[in-house]
Amino acid sequence: MGRLLFLRSVLFSCAAVLLAADEKMANPRVSPADVSAGAATFRSHCAPCHGIAAEGGRGPNLTTGIFYHGATDADLLANISDGIVGTEMPGLFYSEDRVWQVVAYIRSLNAGSHAASSGNPDAGKALFRAKGCPQCHRVAGEGGRLGPDLTNIGQMRSLEHLRQAVTDPNADVRPRYWVVSVKNKNGYDSTGFLMNEDTYTIQFIDMNEQLRSVRKSELAAYRIDKVSKMPSFRDTLNSAELGDLLAYLSSLRPETGSSR
Amino acid sequence: MIKRTLLLFVVATMSAQVTSQRISNSDREPGAWMTYSGSYRGWRYSALDQITRENAKRLRVKWVYQMPTTNVIETTPLVADGVMYVTEPPSNVVALDPATGRQFWRYHRELPAKINVCCGQVNRGVALLGDQVFVGTVDAHLVSLDAKTGAVLWDVAVADHKTGHSITVAPLAVKDMIVCGISGGEYGIRGFLDAYDAKTGKRRWRFWTIPEPGQPGSETWPKGTAAWKTGGAPTWVTGSYDAEQNLIIWGTGNPSPDWNGDSRPGDNLYSDSAIALDADTGALKWHFQFVPHDVHDWDAVQVPVLVDDEWQGTRRKLIYWAHRNGFAYVLDRETGKFLRGGAFATQTWAKGLDVNGKPIALPNTDPSAEGTYIYPGVQGATNWYSPSYSPQTKLFYLAAWENKSVYRKGEQKYSPGNRYIGSVPLIDLPDDPGTGAIRALNPKTGERVWEYKLLTKPWAGVLSTAGKLVFGGSDEGYFFALDAETGKEAWRMNTGGIIRANPVTYLSEGKQIVAIAAGSGIFAFELTP
Repeated sequence: MGRLLFLRSVLFSCAAVLLAADEKMANPRVSPADVSAGAATFRSHCAPCHGIAAEGGRGPNLTTGIFYHGATDADLLANISDGIVGTEMPGLFYSEDRVWQVVAYIRSLNAGSHAASSGNPDAGKALFRAKGCPQCHRVAGEGGRLGPDLTNIGQMRSLEHLRQAVTDPNADVRPRYWVVSVKNKNGYDSTGFLMNEDTYTIQFIDMNEQLRSVRKSELAAYRIDKVSKMPSFRDTLNSAELGDLLAYLSSLRPETGSSR
Repeated sequence: MIKRTLLLFVVATMSAQVTSQRISNSDREPGAWMTYSGSYRGWRYSALDQITRENAKRLRVKWVYQMPTTNVIETTPLVADGVMYVTEPPSNVVALDPATGRQFWRYHRELPAKINVCCGQVNRGVALLGDQVFVGTVDAHLVSLDAKTGAVLWDVAVADHKTGHSITVAPLAVKDMIVCGISGGEYGIRGFLDAYDAKTGKRRWRFWTIPEPGQPGSETWPKGTAAWKTGGAPTWVTGSYDAEQNLIIWGTGNPSPDWNGDSRPGDNLYSDSAIALDADTGALKWHFQFVPHDVHDWDAVQVPVLVDDEWQGTRRKLIYWAHRNGFAYVLDRETGKFLRGGAFATQTWAKGLDVNGKPIALPNTDPSAEGTYIYPGVQGATNWYSPSYSPQTKLFYLAAWENKSVYRKGEQKYSPGNRYIGSVPLIDLPDDPGTGAIRALNPKTGERVWEYKLLTKPWAGVLSTAGKLVFGGSDEGYFFALDAETGKEAWRMNTGGIIRANPVTYLSEGKQIVAIAAGSGIFAFELTP
């Protein structure tokens, strides 16, 4: 009986904690000192993807106040602590207090820049086609498979990062798009994009969109270049065209932002 | 070396388009495994014969693919055009190199925090069509992925997961459609079978497995109540396709609530039935109900085995079906008419089957407040794991259980998203947990030709091959090959984890491989030189 009562009280405490974790949970660490401590943590742990000014890079821009995986303090706490499944966002294994400080820092930025492209997304869409982008990139099921699928790229990447990707593709090449070149012992050549590699084998998608798996022991030579196959559009688009294209890419988002 | 390298590139440059036509002609491509049961006929048989009962002792592990999951793996791997596609529970998909087990791509399904599944967050595999892969998810979506990259092409909600709907079944690609069933028989769903346009994800038809008032079959539900809306009859195991008749033949699950039938007097069509639907319209052509007014949870979720053979002097389109209720049936595939049936395992609930195949229930066999001991148990004399039919031996192989449960009856009200089962039986008796076996039956007579006994009850399906072998597995972790004619063990190996999946076989670089999920991985076996 005593054990049962103990269990009940434990269950009750758990329920109380769960109740506390509702959407209205407010950040208890919002002093200027907290913001500043949060900024320090951000610089060491978050900036590599979200940018030193949190304006985005590989990860989304966090200064706009738009959060696609939930915008309440509780959502931010959970997303930073646990990571976001299905994205590249990992969890940050710090105490809740320290994560709250990061939340405070991010909130302090939300009144800041609302970087949006002034371009025309419809013109950008036409340009996207005219410049042959769909040969390698898919949007909503249409287009090639060799480059990244861009269906939701506006959600996943900041405007700044998109600009960099278009004008300087080699600046940030994900390993999945490193270029594999193999030559087998019969002199057969093949090139494609890296999907996986271990000590003995390489898996890649070749330029004919065929999946290939090769044993290194059967190759005369192979090479993996950490460069992009995408041409730079720095000199082939004028600044208005670039703005239009970025506006289009930035508009590629799910119809509604999903919440956890 | 040269030969192997050449083959590697030949395989890789084949056109990677699985078509319904190719699946229909799967006999001509024994090197591939393009659909859940290997063919539309549901045989889980392969014409590959490199691995034989004579050389099977030379089998060894070729590779293992480990999954970062603690869920049970029930997936049937599919292999086509040099790529293996497996699901990773709960609802992820991985494309692997069938020669090395190395990953090409992985689709990760983000899931809501609360998922309503009765029996584990599991998945039994994908469907392939064109250059697309299709997976059902435990949050009741059907998702199409690009076969080359895993990119999402479309994602449709089949039903609301909050009301206890989920998808664990491997979809079936038929013509230009993806046929997909639903789970939720323990949550009081109203079951259905759907077909979707493979290109767009738009639904072509839905067949409700419980008719609404006024429709044929509605007379088997109580008038003036809402019991039909929460009556179950899910469709959670992949059916078969009769291309000649253009019929999709699928099994349906238990009526809800499972163990208390008081709220649903009547036969409760089309629960626990075989249903035959026109593939283009979803219209019902015939049905056969194995257990009218089921109160034991004996779903008809077995793969229908479609065979054309002599039956009492005339050639006939037949279905062989060993059911969870302990009886093995032969049905006519054109009409659904019962041809014969008999027990294939111990059963204590029916005197037998009448001339129409309807069970003649014995008295005092329904669940009761004090508990009723009945063979077979709640999980049946067999269950969802696949049987196999070999055209070589003309035998029907299955994993069978000798097991009883204590069936208890209780009261329960329906509430959305909560279990609706009518009490909980004691599924396994701690001091008498039952035993299992792999059995070979002469499907036409029901005669048991041989038996390979297992101490524990197997949850793994069987595969027969032209090498005169039957592959099977056990909860003890053993994967084994048996002589298809005698049941004598030709080879076995302990994988170190429970096996609750179906085996497949395919060719990789010209060599026969046998693969099965075990523990937390996919194991592939080959012959040593």
